[in-house]
Parts: sequence; C-alpha cells; structure tokens
Amino acid sequence: MSTATRSMEQGGHVDAGEAHIETVAESLIPVQSRGRKGLETWLPPLVALVALIGAWIGLIRLKNTPPVIAPSPGDIINATRDNWSDLFTALAVTAQDAFLGLLLSVVLGVALAVVMAQSKLLERAIFPYTTLAQTIPIFAIAPLIDNMVGGGHTAIVLVALIIAIFPIIANTALGLNSVENNQLNLFRMYNASRLQELLHLRLPFAIPYMLTGIRVSSGLAIIGAVVGQVLLGTGGPDGGGVGYELQYSAHTGDWGLLGAAAIFAAFLGIAVFIVLGALSNLALRKWHESAIAHEN
Amino acid sequence: MSTLAGARGNIAARWDDRAPLVSLQGVSKAYANGTVALRNANFVAGQGEFISLVGPSGCGKSTILRIVAGLGPTSAGEVRVAGLPPEQARRERGDMAFVFQDATLLPWRTVRANVELPLQMRGVGKAERRQQTMEALGTVGLADVAREYPRQLSGGMKMRVSIARALVAKPSLMLMDEPFGALDEMARGRLNEELLRIVALAGWTVLFVTHNVFEAVFLSSRVLVMSARPGRIVADIPIELPYPRRAALRTSPEFNVVVSQVLASLQEA
Repeated sequence: MSTATRSMEQGGHVDAGEAHIETVAESLIPVQSRGRKGLETWLPPLVALVALIGAWIGLIRLKNTPPVIAPSPGDIINATRDNWSDLFTALAVTAQDAFLGLLLSVVLGVALAVVMAQSKLLERAIFPYTTLAQTIPIFAIAPLIDNMVGGGHTAIVLVALIIAIFPIIANTALGLNSVENNQLNLFRMYNASRLQELLHLRLPFAIPYMLTGIRVSSGLAIIGAVVGQVLLGTGGPDGGGVGYELQYSAHTGDWGLLGAAAIFAAFLGIAVFIVLGALSNLALRKWHESAIAHEN
Repeated sequence: MSTLAGARGNIAARWDDRAPLVSLQGVSKAYANGTVALRNANFVAGQGEFISLVGPSGCGKSTILRIVAGLGPTSAGEVRVAGLPPEQARRERGDMAFVFQDATLLPWRTVRANVELPLQMRGVGKAERRQQTMEALGTVGLADVAREYPRQLSGGMKMRVSIARALVAKPSLMLMDEPFGALDEMARGRLNEELLRIVALAGWTVLFVTHNVFEAVFLSSRVLVMSARPGRIVADIPIELPYPRRAALRTSPEFNVVVSQVLASLQEA
C-alpha cells in the first residue's frame, strides 16, 4: 500500500471510528489465508483418495481380475446408480435402527455409570459385567435376543445397543469419578446433598467425557445395526436395511452392490461422527478446553 | 484477645458466647500411609480474631483447616467449633466457609452462577440468590464480569470470585488455605488490603494459612508458627499493629520489627 492511499483511507474513516478499526484489522489478515486453509484441509485426503482408487483400478486391470472375483470402482459406481433408491431406503432403515440403539445405550449407559458412581461397592459389583457387552460374541446371542423379543427391529436395536453401550458407560464413569477433591470439599462445605453433588458437580464435570463416549459409540451403533440386520434381518428389500443389501448381494455375487452398500454405511458413520463432533463443540465452546481455539 | 472483638459484638451474638469459636486440644493427625501430619496441636480462637498459620510446606497447616471444617477426621484430640464437633457445627449452623488454594470455580458456570452456589445448595429462591450474588460481586469489585466464564478471568479475579462465593454464604468463620499463594506480589498486596476491608465489613473470624510471613503479619491479629513435619505449633505471636491497616504499613519500622520476630521464631522451629 502506498503512502498516498493509506493517508486517504485514514482520512476517509475519520468519522466512523469503529469501522476504521475493523478495516485495518481485516487488512492485517492475509487475503488468501482462508482459501489456502481450506485447500490445506481438503487437498491431502483428496490426493490420497485418487491415488487409492488409481491403485485399485490399476491392480484389477493388471491382474485382469473378473468382476465375479473383485469389483472395480466402476462396478460400484454402476451398482450405486442402478440401486440408488433401494440403497437410500436401506440406509434410512439402518440409520433408524442405529439411532434408536445409540439413544438407548446413552440412556442406559449414563444410568449405569451414575449408579456405579454412588459407591465403590456398586462399581465393583457392576463394572466387570459391563465389559461383557464388549467381549460377548454377538453372533451367539443375537438369535437368542431375536427369539426373546420376537424378532423385528426391536432385536436389531438391542444388538446395536449391546455393541454400542460400553464406551458410554466407561467414559461417563471415568468423568463422574474424575471430579477434583477440592471441588468435592467445596460441595461438602456448603452441605450439598448427594443429589445436588451429582446434578451440579459430577454430571456437568462428566459431560465432555460422555460426549466422547457417544461419538465413539455412534460408529459402533451403526456397525451393530448392520450386523443385527445381517444376522437377523428378514425384513426384505424395504425393511431390511443395509444389512439386507449386504446379505442379498453376497448371495447373488453382486460385488458392486456389496461395495456400494458398505460405502453407504461407512458414509453414514462419518456423517454422524462429524455432526456429533459439531454438536459437542457447540455444547462445550463456552468452557471446555477441547472446544476453545487458542491463539499464542 | 483481639482489638477487634468489641467491634464485632453483633456477629458474636449469633454464637454461644461462653464457648470460644474454635478450640483444638491435643489434636494429632496421621494419614493411612503412616505420615504424621500434625502432632499435639493446641489453640483457641476467639470471635473476631484473624489468625494466620505459618510454617514450612507439609507442616500440617492445611490439615488444621480441613479438620476445623469437618472435612477430615482427627487421629487424636478434641476439636470444637462454637462448642460443637466441627461437622455438626457445619451442618447445623452452616456459617463456615472455605476458600481453597486454587479458586475452585466450576468452569461450566458463569461467574454469577459460581457465586450463587452456596445459596443454591441451601434452596434460596432465584430472585434473592441473584440479588445477594450481585451484592457480593459488587463488594469484590467484579459486578461487571458476572456473565463471563472463569476461564476469561485472571488469577487474581478468580480468587476474588472465590471470596465473593464465600461472602454470599454469610459465614462467621472463614477458613482460607493459601488463597493468594499463586499470585504475583502486586496482586497479592492489593488482595490483602481488599481482604481486610471485607473482613471488617463482614465480621468474619479468620483462620488463614500462608507461608508468606509478610502477608501473615499484615493481615493477622495473631500468628501461629508451626514446625516442619510432624507439625507442631511452636509459637503464638500476637500482632499488636492497629487496624485498619493500609498499604503504607508494610514499609513502617514497627511492621518490620514484628516480621523479624516471626521470622526468628520460624527459624527456631
């Protein structure tokens, strides 16, 4: 900027003090910085994706692999185009099963963590069994659940619940127990009841932990719903979800459709993860370090 | 007894006048790991006194405060607050407050909501809570940051919020555990003066833990000097400097005579 234009600009803003400050502040930020930042964020994964797809196509061409053995990206794109509405219907069903499973695991997981936080004795009694949800082979108990609740979506939601609940219990329990000693002393000083201590200290303190648990569990709930649909799903093309599409395409050897269904489920997981991350930032932006942008 | 006791007759009337506010007789404290934090501590605090506990790190100063607050049990000896066991005194009278070394503010609450906490725990209604909170924030000069979150405040401001929170609890007995230990010298000096103003206003009896002898002498009507672990009270020094005390006192010869006296007994300990 030349001296002449600078003095003109300053002269022109004499009356509007605030506007002038804003102009100067904005001029200090490099113009391309925002665009460049976007590029820096998006370009590397984009390049990696192109390279991956290129390698995939190259490998299939090189080895002359027929579509019956492995699908090429083209097969998947074709299958997606041909089954677009079926895939979307399936995705909506899976999303619903997964969402209900996640919702139930949040309610039940937080409740269990709160119960365990009441005493070391209760924690010792309950916690070992919550790890069962992690370790039990779902293939073994899915038919049992199906039998007990009479099949349908209830059983699939329960499978999603079992697969998704552990991170919520573990993270919430950790948060409830990580309260600082002096914070507890503070509440005791003012003769807070146990309920007040829970509502005004332990639960708010545990919220960031809980949100991390929910984010981890969201992906698990989708996997749980798909697994449930594969194992139990007899819902047919309209009610069977992504699991049905996977099952169907595996039986008919339609690898393109199989790939498309898998990618649809994966994108659902990514979308949910991003949305939950944004919601978590929104909830914590006022006070928690994880959601605060620092400038040094 | 303190030169202030007379001026605080109205506060003293809330207590059993025949009982000293705080008394410790032969109090010892050993932790489960075998560490003896406190050995045979004896002292009596009358109403309106400002008593500082000074001594090296780990001499059991903070332990005494927690015992008086009824936050931890003793291993031996007898503690009374207004004639009652500490925990009972806290539960029944509810007029004790504790200011911790770190400000211990809840980061998810605004400044105002933090200060409201003691009133909220007592079930005080919203309107009254709001009014008392703003009054307390005004007293510590922070009414204009009521809507901010603690992370936006400096260390000194956080400590003032913590003091405002103690103010709304309307305590008679104020327990302060090295509240200004993390502050720079300038902020500490200012807050010392401010604290004396608030103490005179609120009529607190104060037990104050510090390892800064200058701070102890400037604030206190009495200084208890403690030895290194296992902590014992080795000297009980009345500070005869008249209140109200102003910043200029720190550079006066009388002040420095008393400081050297306390330093000397610390050295002996």
